[in-house]
Amino acid sequence: MTGAGTGAHQAQGLAIETRALTKKFGSQTAVNGIHLRVPRGAVFGFLGPNGSGKTTSIRMLLGLTQASSGSISVLGQSMPTRLSEVLPRVGALVEGPAFYPFLSGAANLRRLDTADPFAPRRTRRARVQGALERVGLSHAAEKKVHAYSLGMKQRLGIANALLLPRELLVLDEPTNGLDPQGTREVRSLVRSLAAEGTTVFVSSHLLAEVEQMCTHAAVMSVGSLVAQGTLAALRQVGETRVHLRTPDAAGALRVLTRLGLEPARATNDAADAVVVAPLGDTNWQPEAIVTALVAGGVRIRGFAIEEPSLEERFVALTGEGFDVAQ
Amino acid sequence: MSPSETRPPETEGGPHVRHGGSWDLLGSEISVLFRRRRTWAMLVAVALIPILLAVAVRLSSSTLDPGEGPPFLDRVTQNGLFVGFTAMVVAIPLFLPLTIGVVAGDTIAGEAGLGTLRYLLVAPAGRVRLLLVKYAGAALFCLVATLTLTVSGALVGAALFPVGPVTLLSGDTISVTESLLRSLLVAAYVTVSLLGLAMIGLFISTLTDVPVGAMAATIVVSVIAQILDVIPQLDWLHPWLFSHYWLGFADLLRQPLDLGSFAHNAILQAGYLAVFGALAYSRFVTKDILS
Amino acid sequence: MKLVSRNALRWLPAFVVPAVVVTAVIAVPLQAGAAVDLPDKTPEQVLLLVNDSTVSAFSGTVDQSSDLGLPSLNLTEALPEGNDSTSPLGLTTVLELLSGSHEFRVYVGGEGQSRVQVKDRMAERNVVHNGSDIWLYDSSTNAATHLSLPADLEATAQAKSAELHSQLPTDLATPAQLAERFLSELDPSTTVSVGTDARIAGRSVYQLLLTPRTNEMLTSDTLVASVSIAVDSETGLPLQVTVLAQGQSAPAFQVGFTAIDFAAPNTDLFNFVPPANASVTEQTLPAKPEGSTGDHSGDHSPAVGEVPVVTGTGWSTIVEVPAAAVPAELGDNPLLDQLTTAVDGGRALTTSLVTVFQSNDGRVFAGAVPLAALQAAAQ
Repeated sequence: MTGAGTGAHQAQGLAIETRALTKKFGSQTAVNGIHLRVPRGAVFGFLGPNGSGKTTSIRMLLGLTQASSGSISVLGQSMPTRLSEVLPRVGALVEGPAFYPFLSGAANLRRLDTADPFAPRRTRRARVQGALERVGLSHAAEKKVHAYSLGMKQRLGIANALLLPRELLVLDEPTNGLDPQGTREVRSLVRSLAAEGTTVFVSSHLLAEVEQMCTHAAVMSVGSLVAQGTLAALRQVGETRVHLRTPDAAGALRVLTRLGLEPARATNDAADAVVVAPLGDTNWQPEAIVTALVAGGVRIRGFAIEEPSLEERFVALTGEGFDVAQ
Repeated sequence: MSPSETRPPETEGGPHVRHGGSWDLLGSEISVLFRRRRTWAMLVAVALIPILLAVAVRLSSSTLDPGEGPPFLDRVTQNGLFVGFTAMVVAIPLFLPLTIGVVAGDTIAGEAGLGTLRYLLVAPAGRVRLLLVKYAGAALFCLVATLTLTVSGALVGAALFPVGPVTLLSGDTISVTESLLRSLLVAAYVTVSLLGLAMIGLFISTLTDVPVGAMAATIVVSVIAQILDVIPQLDWLHPWLFSHYWLGFADLLRQPLDLGSFAHNAILQAGYLAVFGALAYSRFVTKDILS
Repeated sequence: MKLVSRNALRWLPAFVVPAVVVTAVIAVPLQAGAAVDLPDKTPEQVLLLVNDSTVSAFSGTVDQSSDLGLPSLNLTEALPEGNDSTSPLGLTTVLELLSGSHEFRVYVGGEGQSRVQVKDRMAERNVVHNGSDIWLYDSSTNAATHLSLPADLEATAQAKSAELHSQLPTDLATPAQLAERFLSELDPSTTVSVGTDARIAGRSVYQLLLTPRTNEMLTSDTLVASVSIAVDSETGLPLQVTVLAQGQSAPAFQVGFTAIDFAAPNTDLFNFVPPANASVTEQTLPAKPEGSTGDHSGDHSPAVGEVPVVTGTGWSTIVEVPAAAVPAELGDNPLLDQLTTAVDGGRALTTSLVTVFQSNDGRVFAGAVPLAALQAAAQ
């Protein structure tokens, strides 16, 4: 495992860095000036609803499509100018697995392995066998792919990314079509790869998946990168807030503003208003705020300090419901 | 973007050394091509052309007058070695272009349709290297298809009819051995004739992600070229049509052997290779792979 | 911006390569025909060059093309039943050769050895001459015709030539004088000049240009615009003949080498043995040949009223064939209906170079003149 011994070294610097990366299809902007920074050694979750530009970004990272503007650097090298040097060090699963249905699983992997000029022929069979074992497909190695289930194809796709030790794995929706058992297996596989020092870049539209696997995440919405950082940082950023129920909305707003917060009415019901205010950088203790409110003559029906959940943050950033981003 | 002959720098990931090179990918391409049932079906169909011709002539009671039916057909009963020539004349206008259209049209569009194109490219196969390998595969198919026809023709001709010295168009007679050599030369000529069409197919294949569309378009192109070739008002255009010299292998059946049209045809096809190769290159290296 | 220029660079081959190919396609023939500069020669010197030519053996490819404006022929349908379809030199063949373009391979081995191959699509017609044998072979019908020339034919020809020589005026003893005489004979009707040097079949050539004079009384209202003969500057072998018609930029008729090799061809080429399954016809030519191939071998001595009458001079010469001399079979030939159109006073065949007019009384007029001239002659 070439990647294993040098993990510490890799942790420095960025595995992926984009600057103002933009992709336009005609007049539509699919990806809008994103600055993505994926540290080496991270398991990086790339979150966003379907159609938010995740796959388009990944295609640009891998040199499949050209950026309309902006620049990309992968493993310290400019893409796509140094594509032939970068890609052998990257394993990828892009927009679902794709194989020759008339070839067996193993033959498919061998075929794709020949496309990599740096893949040694001598060890090809052994490596294919190893990769199939790693994703639990050894039993179906000689079965034709058209007889594979969606989950098996997904595993085969991951196996293809693992044919050689890689410095970076780009996995686009790796758990698609997998049963809960398969999903758990992928999760633990990603963890073990990360432990070997591989940077893993996982895209997903499922928050839970990212929360369970990743150390870092970025959130895409309608082509824009709306947040990124470590999971802990994402949870924190300005999210802790005061949640107040009161019939004296105007008074509450006045008091909270005096405290240096930025309150806002969440409902318009005059008799029973909800006022929220992010705590932000202020260091007010909850009891101090309540004291100030009471002193200001505000009647309190309910008071809470809300700790942020990533879910909420995600929904706030990307919108709710089934509105697939355009 | 060339399939970078330079080694990547010795990075933290450990030394990367080129191992397989392009031959591995070519070998894999050929094995995938000839593992497909479709490829075999086409080759069997190609082999059936001389067989059907020979059997039909054998079973038919009426004898053909000279000049009746496709060229050489009247000679078949006297000499089985003519089966291959007749079959070639019959297969060139439509059947061989059809099979080439299927193979060449499938090259890039087929991979795009399956989605394997993106995995080949991130492997990374290199776009230029992939184009070259794909074209080499299609060219090999041209050769295999014409050889299949030639060999099948020679075998069925020898099985059903007497075999002996062959009379050339000039009226001179050559030995069986020489006639077999000339058959191979004819196969080489026809293979070269189809190379231009194969490159056109490759180019069309880079334009779409729908392989059937690319195949149909390539076949249509070959049919249109042949239609243009018989419109007298366009006679200035005729020498520039890739299909113009397709039946020119007749010159290989003259005495003395006339290699002039072989060379002429080869130059014409080389022109098509250059033009459509350049178009395929430009199109493919700038293409956004969205499949 | 950088990306744009990168893409532009990658599209460059798509424009450059086709441009280079097209340029090559246009430039190569131009280059072949350009920049030939031979020492200047007078028409007389060029004629002498032809006369002094000692080429006796060569092989080459000949292209012949005609743009006579003939109506397109349906030759297979029009082929008269039972006619000489086996003869490669019959009327049908001649008409066929006059329309469209053909490619020949010509082998000349000297001493009565020659072979001409007409390259047809998937077929070939051969004429092989070897001493006293002439073989005609057509691969499309797999039929061969063998003509034996009488042994004394050559002797007869030589005697005739000697006889002709003895009749010549004494001041024409040398070829130079002959050339001079020839040119002065031509002079009233024709301008003879040497055109720009060119390259034909890869060889530099002088172009002898014959242009009908169109002056005052000799105004020849001929259809011929000019005739040019390309003469190889080294060997003196004429390599190409081009006939231009009035008001037509493409040659009305052109025959010329596209490749030539002055090495003697392999003599095996002239030893023609008919293929085993071919149908072979044996023919012997009479000692005094009337027709060229024996097609009209019937004894057929010209009688009064059958002799063609020649009127006019130079380019506007009109030949009149009396009705009695017109072969009867011609009238029945369905080809004629296809070829000719009804005009005032008879039927006419008009081409860009030659006009043939058959008046209602059966006489046939022909010449390189407009139809009106023939109609006038028929009055």
